[in-house]
Amino acid sequence: MRRAVLSTLGTITAIVVLLAFKSAPVRVARPPFSSPLNASEPPVSDPPATSPDVNSIAPSSAAASVASGEPTTQPVAPTTNGAATRTPATTPTKTPAQPKAPAQPKAPSRSAAPTTKAASGTFLGSSAQTRYGPVQIKITYAAGRITGVVAVQLPSGRSRDAEINNYAVPILESETLAAQSANINSVSGATYTSDGYVRSLQSALDAAHR
Amino acid sequence: MPETLRVLAPTPRGSAARGRGSAPLPRHSPTPLSARPNVVLVGVALGAMAVLLLWWRGTPYVHGMGDWLTNAGRITGLLAGYAIGIVLLLMARIPAFERGVGSDRLARWHAIGGRYTVSLVVCHVMLIVWGYAVTAHTNPVHQTASLISSYPDMAMATVAAGLLVFVGAVSARAARRRLSYETWHYLHLYTYLAVSLSFSHQLATGAQFISDPLARLAWSSFYAVIGALLIWHRLLSPIRSALRHRMRVVGLTAEAPGVVSVYISGDHLDELEAQPGQFFRWRFLTREHWWAANPYSLSAPPTPALLRITVKALGDHSSDLAGVRVGTKVLAEGPYGGFTAARRKRRKVLLIAAGVGITPIRTLYETLPGGPGDITLLYRVSSPENVLFQDELEAISESRGHRLYFLSGPRGGPGDPLSAGRVAKAIPDVRHHDVYLCGPPAMTETTIRTLRRCGVPRRRIHHESFEL
Repeated sequence: MRRAVLSTLGTITAIVVLLAFKSAPVRVARPPFSSPLNASEPPVSDPPATSPDVNSIAPSSAAASVASGEPTTQPVAPTTNGAATRTPATTPTKTPAQPKAPAQPKAPSRSAAPTTKAASGTFLGSSAQTRYGPVQIKITYAAGRITGVVAVQLPSGRSRDAEINNYAVPILESETLAAQSANINSVSGATYTSDGYVRSLQSALDAAHR
Repeated sequence: MPETLRVLAPTPRGSAARGRGSAPLPRHSPTPLSARPNVVLVGVALGAMAVLLLWWRGTPYVHGMGDWLTNAGRITGLLAGYAIGIVLLLMARIPAFERGVGSDRLARWHAIGGRYTVSLVVCHVMLIVWGYAVTAHTNPVHQTASLISSYPDMAMATVAAGLLVFVGAVSARAARRRLSYETWHYLHLYTYLAVSLSFSHQLATGAQFISDPLARLAWSSFYAVIGALLIWHRLLSPIRSALRHRMRVVGLTAEAPGVVSVYISGDHLDELEAQPGQFFRWRFLTREHWWAANPYSLSAPPTPALLRITVKALGDHSSDLAGVRVGTKVLAEGPYGGFTAARRKRRKVLLIAAGVGITPIRTLYETLPGGPGDITLLYRVSSPENVLFQDELEAISESRGHRLYFLSGPRGGPGDPLSAGRVAKAIPDVRHHDVYLCGPPAMTETTIRTLRRCGVPRRRIHHESFEL
């Protein structure tokens, strides 16, 4: 409110001062002529729009219900749960993004560049303990390349684990296939699972190269 | 700038060691192109001076009441023409402004500027009609008719003024509350029509422009530059980004009753250079909702492969997110917002979140550099089942040594967990902290007062709130 009053007064003052300066030479010739009263009158009708401060603070009704903490029951949850189970569909669409991922090696020590020495076959990684449970990875190795990767063990103690696994694991799998190493980014929101995944994956790769 | 990206990397452990025991603040790599708020304001003021100079130069002298009124009308008209350009410029989503000033502050300036512009337009119309009437010794009604019928392009300008007043009226507080965000937003687009309708009368009848080609050139370029910026940043740039990133929903999870996390993947996401605390304007391409873009903050530090937002069912748009499914294509404009580590001035940081306001705060909590004890999070919730990201927050707290408090209790009164006394008790040196605050508007307002009472300087309270 104060701002609105100040800007209105400031504008009126500036205009009156400018006009007064411009009319100064004439006033000498014809004294009682210019009427600042009249000139400053119209802008008084200026503030039809109202206080900026109060307006911008006024809460919307929806936000107000958050603030007061009323229990709002939205029927969103069931539908989304249903959608979450559909996540595996993402695996194919993911791949184009992947060539970018290995561009940022996180830990050079983990690198297991495919070498010709590696045997072909299936290799089970060690079971990596995480905060929420063990993660164990099995890879299929053929002609020096990782051709398949499967999680045989994942955290499952909580209902949320399944949701996290549903979105995180396909991403980790496609990252692995693209990177052909354990040099993969962890999936945000699934940091622990990703960490266990990488450790188990690394041990599987080590086994393949032995 | 790969520097910033490395800071965003999802593993917090590397950055945890940094900044411990170091001098007052861990240096943050400066974002290129970010305009400080004061610089922008000074620029706007200088432009206004130039406009007044334009009038000064083109006006030989003023005498008589008719002249006074007419020239007051000309000044208000020139200022209105300038102000509406600035008001549009503030909404042009120019990255330097979005980062440096912050989108929420830009929106507030836009609202203030809009009200000011409409007031100037109304004054301009009344003063010109009155001034012409006094000079011509006619009455204002007759003068209005002759102005519209016999001056070039005045019919269009009259429509423009009517549109602007209409847009101003629907944006006024009382009307705004009765309209949905989307309706209000689309009515706002009439401003563009109003500006284009009013432009030609400015050059065709404006006393300062008729005889001054240089002034005409300057005025036209002002509008042309703003038009180009609007087209680039609000139309072409989003299209280019849509083609480049091809984002789509890859996962949905329920976080709490009525709160959903949406995982979005796409190509070249690292090129977005999104920082924790920033937001995008999301447009989910379902049949019903492709036309509405809503701002949601990233709720996890962005990675090159994945972005996450978390949405509470608020407003028309977000309640329908349930219709969004895996595979839904997404357009995102952004990243926007200056609610990032760049605002930080002190080593110690206090983060305060309420409700779904936790989303940007959670990413800052994970990524702000700092040693154990440097960073504290107060998370206010209405009830325990509404806590979002409890596991994630606890995990971050544990691995980085940051303090974490969940607060619940009545608002106001002695039991309020966010009262000045309790905050000061929990964090005795709160006045030496930078504070990041995100929550509903009422909570933001009271918490700012509380913090001021605890001795935190206003300039170190950073908040982001989106209501208009």
